Amino acid sequence: MVETSYYIALAGILFSIGAVGFLMRRSVIQMFLCVELMLNSANLVLVAFARAWGNLEAQTAVFIILTLAAAEVAIGLAIIVAIFRKRVSTNVDELSSLKG
Amino acid sequence: MNMVVFVLLALLAIVGAFGVILWKNAIYSALSLVGTLLSLACIFVTLEAQFLASVQVIVYAGAIMVLFLFVIMLLNAQYPSDEVDPLEWVAPAAIAGGIVLAGAIAYTAFLFKAPKPLEEAAKALQGGTPGPVGETLFTKFLLPFEAVSLLLIVAVVGAVALVKREPEGKQVRETLEERATHTPEEVVA
Repeated sequence: MVETSYYIALAGILFSIGAVGFLMRRSVIQMFLCVELMLNSANLVLVAFARAWGNLEAQTAVFIILTLAAAEVAIGLAIIVAIFRKRVSTNVDELSSLKG
Repeated sequence: MNMVVFVLLALLAIVGAFGVILWKNAIYSALSLVGTLLSLACIFVTLEAQFLASVQVIVYAGAIMVLFLFVIMLLNAQYPSDEVDPLEWVAPAAIAGGIVLAGAIAYTAFLFKAPKPLEEAAKALQGGTPGPVGETLFTKFLLPFEAVSLLLIVAVVGAVALVKREPEGKQVRETLEERATHTPEEVVA
């Protein structure tokens, strides 16, 4: 069996890639994809530690997080669509004003 | 053998993650993320989480990514308008910070001491099949479960409310009865 540390390291690498992408990309949708990537690396950590302790509760928590992610994506994409209707842009630099 | 499988899956996941942040076209980014999610699902299987692996494929790689692709194609947003970065120092700073963060997390990860032998701990998971996971979900996680169901309802209503088009000129649509008794100007006010 592969040691837990390797899984945690992999999750750290994935999280960092997601964080870098979030800061570098200027398109709202790609930033959102990077957020999803970071969320998934957090899930990987939970599942890896669930095996290290032999505790199923972490896996159940991951299940709840998956449901949460689905709700988050539905709302996030609805907001992006609503903004796009008003501004016809998905570039964050053009969406800096909070005024409708 | 296990290590070979892990390294292969990890490489696939990392390549997919780089694809997400490096493609200019948002559709390619989304498809790369699907690749990462699928390899993560395979990693879940190696971590004794079979139920989560299938849920990861169905909910994440299936439903959520289809929603993403729908929106990208609906908004015709696959191409960046013009990639002029107003702050040039952000990209190098982000890359440097990301390397430091990855190094720090990886270093910390190898300080982790397993609380008990892996084989023994893995046995307690019973393979992470739907039965044991569902039992935990409906006993210890009953309150979060109900809260999540409420959250899903709020999310559905919120999503519909957010994308609902406002009628032209904020005109309230009159019923037949109102049309018979009022003039249209009164209805608008």
